[in-house]
Amino acid sequence: MKPRTPKYSEWTDQAQAWFQSQGWKPFPFQEETWEAFMEGKHGLLNAPTGSGKTYALWFPILLNYMRAHPDYATKHRKGLKAIWITPLRALSQEIRQSAERILEDLQIPFEVGIRTGDTSTAERNRQRKTMPDLLITTPESLQLLLATKGYAKLFRECSAVVVDEWHELLGSKRGVQMELALSRLKSVCPNLRIWGISATIGNLEQAREVLLGPASEALENSVMIRAHVPKRITVKSLLPEQMDTFPWRGHLGLHMLEAIIPILEQSKTTLIFTNTRGQCEIWFQQLLERHPELAGEIAMHHGSIDKETRLWVEQAIRNESLKAVVCTSSLDLGVDFAPVETVIQIGGPKGVARFLQRAGRSGHRPGRESVIYFLPTHAIELVEAAALQQAVKLQAVEDRTPYLNSFDVLVQYLTTLAVSDGFYPEDIYREVSQTFCYQAMSREQWEWLLNFLVLGSQSLQSYDEYKKVEVAEDGRLQVTNRGVAMRHRFQIGTIVGDAQLTVKYQKGGYIGTIEEYFISQLKAGDVFTFAGRNLEFLRIRDMVALVRHSPKKAGKTPSWMGGRLTLSSEMSRILREELYSAAMPLGQQAVEIRALQPLFERQRLESIVPGPDQFLLETFRTREGYHYIFYPFEGRFVHEAMASLLSYRISLLTPITFSLAYNDYGFELLSDQELDVQMVLDNNLFSPKYLLDDLQKSLNATEMARRKFRDIAVISGLVFTGYPNKGVKMKHLQSNSQLLFEVFRDYEPDNLLFRQAFTETFEHQLEEGRLRLALERIEEQEIVWRACEKPTPFSFPIITDRLREKLSSEKLADRIRRMTRILTGGGR
Amino acid sequence: MVHTEIIGGETLEMHPWGVLYWKARGMLLLSDLHLGKVTHFRKYGAAVPLEALQRNFNRLRHLTDIYRPERICFLGDLFHSHMNREWELFEAWVKTCAARLDLVVGNHDIIDPVRFEALGISCRDQWEIGPFKLTHHPAESEDRFNISGHIHPAVRLAGAGRQRLRLPVFYLRQRQLILPAFGAFTGTHVVSPEPGERLYALAGETVLPLDALDARLSRR
Repeated sequence: MKPRTPKYSEWTDQAQAWFQSQGWKPFPFQEETWEAFMEGKHGLLNAPTGSGKTYALWFPILLNYMRAHPDYATKHRKGLKAIWITPLRALSQEIRQSAERILEDLQIPFEVGIRTGDTSTAERNRQRKTMPDLLITTPESLQLLLATKGYAKLFRECSAVVVDEWHELLGSKRGVQMELALSRLKSVCPNLRIWGISATIGNLEQAREVLLGPASEALENSVMIRAHVPKRITVKSLLPEQMDTFPWRGHLGLHMLEAIIPILEQSKTTLIFTNTRGQCEIWFQQLLERHPELAGEIAMHHGSIDKETRLWVEQAIRNESLKAVVCTSSLDLGVDFAPVETVIQIGGPKGVARFLQRAGRSGHRPGRESVIYFLPTHAIELVEAAALQQAVKLQAVEDRTPYLNSFDVLVQYLTTLAVSDGFYPEDIYREVSQTFCYQAMSREQWEWLLNFLVLGSQSLQSYDEYKKVEVAEDGRLQVTNRGVAMRHRFQIGTIVGDAQLTVKYQKGGYIGTIEEYFISQLKAGDVFTFAGRNLEFLRIRDMVALVRHSPKKAGKTPSWMGGRLTLSSEMSRILREELYSAAMPLGQQAVEIRALQPLFERQRLESIVPGPDQFLLETFRTREGYHYIFYPFEGRFVHEAMASLLSYRISLLTPITFSLAYNDYGFELLSDQELDVQMVLDNNLFSPKYLLDDLQKSLNATEMARRKFRDIAVISGLVFTGYPNKGVKMKHLQSNSQLLFEVFRDYEPDNLLFRQAFTETFEHQLEEGRLRLALERIEEQEIVWRACEKPTPFSFPIITDRLREKLSSEKLADRIRRMTRILTGGGR
Repeated sequence: MVHTEIIGGETLEMHPWGVLYWKARGMLLLSDLHLGKVTHFRKYGAAVPLEALQRNFNRLRHLTDIYRPERICFLGDLFHSHMNREWELFEAWVKTCAARLDLVVGNHDIIDPVRFEALGISCRDQWEIGPFKLTHHPAESEDRFNISGHIHPAVRLAGAGRQRLRLPVFYLRQRQLILPAFGAFTGTHVVSPEPGERLYALAGETVLPLDALDARLSRR
């Protein structure tokens, strides 16, 4: 720890006194942050939720203002002094309360304002006239502020930006949005300090670099402060009593439901974390059905439930009036819930950092032990349970990979600037090229983007009517068309995610929001479970799904596409080691691995449990076709890439069509035709040679890039999503991003936004580096091919996965001739 | 490769671009071009590739070269929206086109018929010609066989190995033939054929009748 500089003690003593008056003692990290901020430093604070991080930064922001304005108490200067960014609007109340507590006690006449998607138009207008002194907002809402005329004036006196939960933003495009906003604020606010707050992740140093800009003055003049709040975490796996009846696949985990009842009984408040909202709904329902005595004592919390209910649940946790809450990642962040004693994780959390964060939700007092129970949803997940124990011991947290060259976000940002005051390209180029995301952007790419904004392409055609950004006489790029400006402002909020519909009762009454994808599968009269209720779907009107209560049993529970996360390389390694321990004497195995003995025996009937020197390939035939299953144990994303690569290489040898599936353990190539396996083995198709080239071509052959393109098209404004909740219909401008993808592929394949769909799949998702290492490892291994009679336990979770990719090297007409059914019903 | 069927006593050729050729009358039938759609999007700030709008004209030129039709009948939704400058390209094409042009007006055709007539295109709400009744929306007729467009029909196919395909089709019903959309940058709608109805899939360079599959309809 650095020696304390007494330089600012005159000021920080006030914070010390405040802590004393509360009967608390500040942590060293809080004192360090106060000093560093007062010294004028930027920085990254690594502190977990509930450690008092808000006090670490609100205090110096206010003390610094008091120092600069000795007459602060009597003479109130209007205008924005500091911005606090939070990724979740649900957290804003909590942050405001901590600020207001200090303001009141130090008698500073400041107003704290919140500006998020929930803020009313009236309040927003009021804020635009007079900014609150302290503003709590989200990355999207900050971006919207940059789209207001004369924004520079609003920000001029701002002396601090705090980006809370920076680790959550870092690996996402909202993080890029933040980088861009900060690059602008650095120029607009002469006395700005930038601070991030992050939970522990593998690449904390890089997180600081991304926040402040590589090679920037800000980075030079910054500090990293680590909280080091000691935390003992105990992981306990819930083992099935009988392994023979424990399922080989599945992700719900309901057969273990009874196992959590004694845990609920013993603990004051328990949080039950599920991986998807659908799973959350089902668990809540089932708990009530099987244990009616829990009615009124348990609640549910996920991102699609309306705000009032969520706030109510959060308050009820604080009041200790709930025994248990079934939740999703919606309760991962923020909000200090002191009464939570126990946490249960259902199914693999797919990330050590996330698991630690959830574990940290219990025993929420410094020095107290955190207990987290892990409930496996299917047999092989027990291996993951054992691996998690190891990972927690080693604190093997994963990296959050920041995006590079996200042109879609840049197009959106430049349009934002053009909508407000317009911009001079050279000024903005200087700022943008200093961000982490765009540090490697070439001059040509920048020029391309400007052309795209102004011309809608790279050349001028006389009959074209493209209209968006215009060039003024003095070279300023601006938007003059009100329609363009309005549509852009609406679009900013919708940075990613499926189209959302509001769910309402026919007679009025908001229930929540739901993915359009789910609703599109329903017919009028269908009954589904949502927000813990059985609802009958009536119809859709203006982006609103109208429903009414139904006494009937629900046929469907919304399944959300979320939760498809992958294992980190470190976690994959630990997982492989746990699996290899299957060959060790029972005494040396973890309890979870020991419990899996019956499954391993079944697996060994026709196949093997691979050891460190073996690479397993299983083949068998079912009604569905010919299955080829490979087990690299490298995590889902690496398997996605490997499946794509391998199927592409095979398709060069013979005309064939594959359906690909993957999970964290392995991947499957499924075909309607038999494959010559010996040919695959003889041709050395796992070679890391020509990897880059082959992988890129395989991406063209599969459809992976299409999915990426959807978000890119929305963010860059190529697809207009309409005005959800505004009741404004823009049907004549809605297009399907799939259609658009094809149009770009056929007519403008060099378009940077189209190319981005491929580089993103390639660099961000497929993790080419990890793939290469995995292939090199496989080259050293002995390939063990087992031709089986029927599916093995290991193969089961993979072959039953429904989310699939396809790749074909056959002629379309040949494929059609072998098709056996016409599918009817069901929209798209 | 085209596929030929005798419908309503007349020989009709189905072209893999979704066009129907009525040999006896030297007439090309096509539906749902949605000209102007690309420009409409661009006008509102969505930079759909400008080149995409050329496909419609390139294909029209190619078709007139190979068929040398006497008449071309558009079964509605010829122009996607209000007037825009893609009209000029359309005008230029009309001037070079030797065939007589007819338009059966669709719901998207909000441009004043006077403008079409000025180019020598006759506009009708429906057209009874020979054994056929030509409409934009699929329609019933007591004495005539209906040919229409509007719904952009497509089919979803499934096969072994969890294979799935979605393709635009000619949709042949009891006394009705529905054409796929000709236009680039238009979507499709999956139809659920009843027993006895037939589908002809646009499969790249060829039109494939899905007869063998008709008996195997399955609900998902």
